[in-house]
Amino acid sequence: MDETPFQMDTRGAFSMPENHKYDAGYGLTEETIDYICDAKGEPDWLRQFRKDALKKFNEMPMPYHWAPEGIRNVDFENFRYYLSHGATPSRSWDEVPEDMKRTFERLGVPEQERAFLAGVDAQYDSETAYTNMREELQKQGVIFVNSTEGLKEYEHIFRPWFGKVIPVGDNKFSALNHAAFSGGSFIYVPKGVKLAQPLQAYFRINSESMGQFERTLIIADEGAELMYMEGCTAPQYDSATLHSGVVELVALKGAKIQYVTVQNWSTNVYNLVIQRGLAMEDAEIRWIDCNLGSGLTMKYPAVVLQGRRARGEVVSISLAHSGQLQDTGARMIHAAPETTSNIVAKSISIGEGRASYRGEVKVLKGMKGCKNNTECDALLINPISRTDTYPAITVNGNASAVQHEASVSQVDEEMLFYLQQRGLTRAQAMSLAVNGFINDLVKEFPMEYSVELRRLIDLEMEDSIG
Amino acid sequence: MDFPQNMSMEEAFALAEAEARLNAALQESKVRFDKAEMPNRLNEDWRFGRPHVYAREWAARFKDGENCFEYVGFDNSDEHITRLTADDEDLRQTEMLMPTIGSDALLALHLKRFGDGHVLYIEEDTKEPICLGYGTRWAASPSTFIMVAPGVKAEVAITYACLEIGYIFATCNIQVAEGAELKVRVNTWGDGADGRCMLITNIQNMGGKVAHLTEYQGLRWVREETVAEIYAPGSETKLFSANKLGENAVLDQHTKQIHHAGGATSDLLYKNVLDGNATATFAGNIYVAPGAHNTDAYQSNRNLMLSEDATVNSLPGLEILADKVRCSHGSASGPMDEEQLFYLLSRGIPTYEAHQLIADGFLNEAIEKFKG
Repeated sequence: MDETPFQMDTRGAFSMPENHKYDAGYGLTEETIDYICDAKGEPDWLRQFRKDALKKFNEMPMPYHWAPEGIRNVDFENFRYYLSHGATPSRSWDEVPEDMKRTFERLGVPEQERAFLAGVDAQYDSETAYTNMREELQKQGVIFVNSTEGLKEYEHIFRPWFGKVIPVGDNKFSALNHAAFSGGSFIYVPKGVKLAQPLQAYFRINSESMGQFERTLIIADEGAELMYMEGCTAPQYDSATLHSGVVELVALKGAKIQYVTVQNWSTNVYNLVIQRGLAMEDAEIRWIDCNLGSGLTMKYPAVVLQGRRARGEVVSISLAHSGQLQDTGARMIHAAPETTSNIVAKSISIGEGRASYRGEVKVLKGMKGCKNNTECDALLINPISRTDTYPAITVNGNASAVQHEASVSQVDEEMLFYLQQRGLTRAQAMSLAVNGFINDLVKEFPMEYSVELRRLIDLEMEDSIG
Repeated sequence: MDFPQNMSMEEAFALAEAEARLNAALQESKVRFDKAEMPNRLNEDWRFGRPHVYAREWAARFKDGENCFEYVGFDNSDEHITRLTADDEDLRQTEMLMPTIGSDALLALHLKRFGDGHVLYIEEDTKEPICLGYGTRWAASPSTFIMVAPGVKAEVAITYACLEIGYIFATCNIQVAEGAELKVRVNTWGDGADGRCMLITNIQNMGGKVAHLTEYQGLRWVREETVAEIYAPGSETKLFSANKLGENAVLDQHTKQIHHAGGATSDLLYKNVLDGNATATFAGNIYVAPGAHNTDAYQSNRNLMLSEDATVNSLPGLEILADKVRCSHGSASGPMDEEQLFYLLSRGIPTYEAHQLIADGFLNEAIEKFKG
């Protein structure tokens, strides 16, 4: 591949021939679950658990009454629920099957690992192909494995928290994930251990009509700190692909978790992800969320502030092109006194793209001294672009302060004129303006990601202004 | 259809077309009422509104379409006012076309009882406000129609009095022509028992200036559904509300500012002071239609909480489908400012009075802005 700067976006737009040892076929039934359990060699309790979840999934209604229209097109019969080469991930790149290795090499995963990561988990369709972590972390007792291995080897830590932050019956997609989950990471950081470098997961959908249901559980014990990053890509197919992951974070007393997502699925992917964190006393959870790809994204990272003085934050950037709906937002549940939260969401709509902010802030009864601040800013690039804001704020009692501000704006013509007058093309001027709009948020991302983000935005502007 | 004589071909076509459009809209409305379900928990417009309690009790009171309940209508006999009659087909059709925010099934009940209310055709400037009011101890379902001619300035005040267990189910249609200026001030009155009120308001601004203020007090439950539709550039639509809610009061306000045409301004400021275990829900939406460029629209919901049992739900929404739009919304809920309170207390004002002063000052912003 040529290394011109504008190749960045299309890095993920290729596919490898399908070559699966396990394929559970289309649709989700009890047989599919038996197939998944057999392939993964799972214990009986988990088999039963999955089947109970499937029952719940079938009973629960779709959230048609509030969700965006596009969700009506999701047809659960037309997805493949389990595709893999086998459930055991490799510990070294040499052992990874050739086509997967080439995939991840093209996506630059091994280089990044050498360059700045403490550990990597690379998921290819349903299973993790590769997991590795630096040795010194293993010695400190840090656990970083995929969810299958986590349940097998560390059941005593995993199981008590499994499905506790996001219960099976939380919503239809949570039940679906509990029934069909495969892959994702399990991380445990022991008391007081602070990870200087981030851990990374890379999710890749290669096969057509694939349903990817990764399951991530991160537990930061008292005083621990970590940053976790995930990246997602998929090739463009004619048929729809479903990504419906569940991410649970648990930050015990004084712990800090930062979770960074850069999602760049192709536009045939439905990205319906549930992310929720539980913050205990003095703990802090930050979601840094960037949605660039997928046809329909519904994603509202949440923090349940369960302990006194806990802190939650969501920083969200989304970019919607023609044919894309980014329905993103945040949820903050203040369930303890003196908890604080902050939401900053910025969205950009280009062409016929539609970006929505949907959020919920709740201060429960009797919780004193809670504070929330929410800011949503939307930028419309073309006259046909669309943006929406749907916040819901509930405050109980007179001892908390909550505020919400939202604004919608366009790129200032005068600013563009000024830049063009100094020799920039209109597209360059526009991308400079858009980069300026999200600049303060991009700084929150790790350096490697923010560089890539800026380039992606340059590319998007190039396309839309022409 | 019959055409008046001396009509040109173009005029006849235009009239026929308008008639066809009206018939289509009425047909659509009929389908809307047929399909309408009683508000339930899946109705997003009744989120936080407890439809299984309030909508059900409402429907039970108003289901007997033909019964006439004890009802009083009063006005200051202004020359602009006429009493509505049940056989006024044009106005019945106007009511049929009214948009609601989640309560089509309830509006259908109101239509069955159509016939009480007032009609105001205002064709010249009014010197003092036109006052009208409705009161009941059981159930009343008045409709008010206000139409203001081009260039005319008018003020209207409407009072709804719900005594004892009186329920008032009111609709209000407001049409403001080009260059007209209208101020409508709505307030409620109750004796603190179980008075309830539901108000469905539709404002159609064809290029004038409208200011609308609601002040609710003395009732146990109020649901407001106000839809302001803006059809012409240069028009100005302002919605205000200032409410003091005490023990057991439930206020459920829903608004839409719909910009069909560009180049217009709309502004909303809804303020509440909550005491006791009062609950206030505000769900607003600004919709800027495709092509309605150069719109300025604002929306703000502010709540002052005086007690730890009070609850506020605030859902300020935006849907922008046009370009060159300046649009913002804000929502803030919080306790009384300690410094303001300290200032008043240090000047010897007792705590209770100080609270009242600050609460009144807080609400006064909306009232002053309404007065202009």
